Amino acid sequence: MKSPAFSYYQAKDLADAINVKKTDDDAVILAGGQSLLPTLNMRLSNPSVLIDIGNISELKEIKVDDSNLIMGAMCSHSQIMNNKEVNEKLPILNKILSQVAHPAVRNKGTHGGSIAYGDPAAELPAFAVLVNAEIILSGSDGERIVSAKEFYKGLFETAINSDEILTSVKYPINRNGMKLFFDEVTRRHGDYAMAGLVGSIKQNNKINEEINLVFFGTGDRPNEAPKTCEYLLKNEYNYSDIKNTLKNDIDFASDISSSSDMKAHLSAILVGRMMKELN
Amino acid sequence: MSNLNKTTISMIINNENYDDITVETRQHLGDFLRDLGFKGTHLGCEQGACGACNVLVDGESVRSCLMLAVQANGKKITTVEGLNSSEMEIVKDCFVKNNAMQCGFCSSGMLMTTYEIVKSNRKYSREEIREMISGNYCRCTGYQAIVDAVEDSLNKINVGV
Repeated sequence: MKSPAFSYYQAKDLADAINVKKTDDDAVILAGGQSLLPTLNMRLSNPSVLIDIGNISELKEIKVDDSNLIMGAMCSHSQIMNNKEVNEKLPILNKILSQVAHPAVRNKGTHGGSIAYGDPAAELPAFAVLVNAEIILSGSDGERIVSAKEFYKGLFETAINSDEILTSVKYPINRNGMKLFFDEVTRRHGDYAMAGLVGSIKQNNKINEEINLVFFGTGDRPNEAPKTCEYLLKNEYNYSDIKNTLKNDIDFASDISSSSDMKAHLSAILVGRMMKELN
Repeated sequence: MSNLNKTTISMIINNENYDDITVETRQHLGDFLRDLGFKGTHLGCEQGACGACNVLVDGESVRSCLMLAVQANGKKITTVEGLNSSEMEIVKDCFVKNNAMQCGFCSSGMLMTTYEIVKSNRKYSREEIREMISGNYCRCTGYQAIVDAVEDSLNKINVGV
C-alpha cells in the first residue's frame, strides 16, 4: 500500500515546529515514524503535513543527574539501549527495549514517539505510568509537565493539546530500594504483547510494603491494578484469586491475538512470575 | 503548506552521489531506491512487519518502507548491492554455502540484520540469532539454514574474540 499525498515540513527548531503545528489541526508530528508510516501506508490516517522534528538536536539528548534520567523525545530506542549511564541507572529500560520490535525498527523508533502515540499494547507507556514519569510538553504558551498517570486518557488518547509537542520524559531513578519487574507474552519475539506487565515491589525486612502493577496489551491504555496490589500485600499468590481480582481491576479487551479471558489468564501468570522473581 | 507535495533531495547511495532528485514527499525510501534501479531492496508488506526492505542508513539498518525518501536527504544509504565490506563478503559466502535461501526474497533484509549482528562485535547463541532475525520473515520458512549461515559467518569473522 502507498501513502496518501501530504506535505512535508522539516522543522528548524522547536518553536518553528510548534508554530506550524498550531496553525494546522491536521498537521502531524513525524518523530521516528515507525508507527506513523504503517498507518499512512495503510491509509488509516490522512494528515495535511508531516512536521519532521528529526533535525532538532536538543531533542536527542539523554541527561542524567542524581535522581532523574531525562530522555529527549527524539532519542531512538537503540541510542538508549547503547547508553552506558542509562544501563547503569535504569537497567530495566534495556530489558524492556530489547522486546520493542526489532533492530531495524529500534534504530528509527523514538522514545517520545512511543510515549506520545499511547498504544495500549506498547511497553514504554506502561513503564512511564509505573514509575509515574513526568512528561514534558512544549506549546505556544510555553512548557508544562503532566504526570504519566494523568497522561493517558483512552485509546490512543493523551493529554497533549493540538499546539503541543512532547519534548522529553523524566524518570525518577532514586527508587529507595524499589525492585522493578518486566515480562510479556508474545507470539513472536518483538511483536506486540498478548499481555505484558511492569511492576515494582518495595520491601522492608523481606516484608512487602508496597506493590505496583501496570499491564499493557490488556485494555484501552496502560492498566493499573490497585485491588490486585492490595490483595498481594495481604495474601500469598494464588492464580485463581489473582485472575478474579484482576478482572475487577481491568476491563480486559480482546484483540486479534487473544480473548479477554485469555488476557486475564496471561496477566495472572505474569503476576506469578513477578512475585517469584522479586520475593 | 498545500503545495509542498514534492521536494528535491540528494543522498549518497552505495558510495555514489545522487543529487537534486525531485520526489513526491509521500514516497517511501524503498520505492525511491527501486525506482533508481536498486531492485535488491525487496518490498514485502510495506507496513514494517516483514523486514525484506531493510537497508542501511548512515550504517544502521532501517525499514525502507517506514522511512520517507525526504527523510533520507543528505544521508548515506547502503543497499544490498553495496554491501561489499570484507566482512559482508564472508557473510554472503556463508549464506551461499549454507543454502540460506530458497526463493531469496528475504535475503537482502536478512543480510542487513546480519550486518547489525556482526557490527555489535560479540558472540551470539543460536537463540539470540533467532531473536535478532525475528524481525525478518522468511516465508519459505528456511530459518534453520539462515541461523546456520549467521553462526558460520560469526565463527569465520571471529566476532567478539
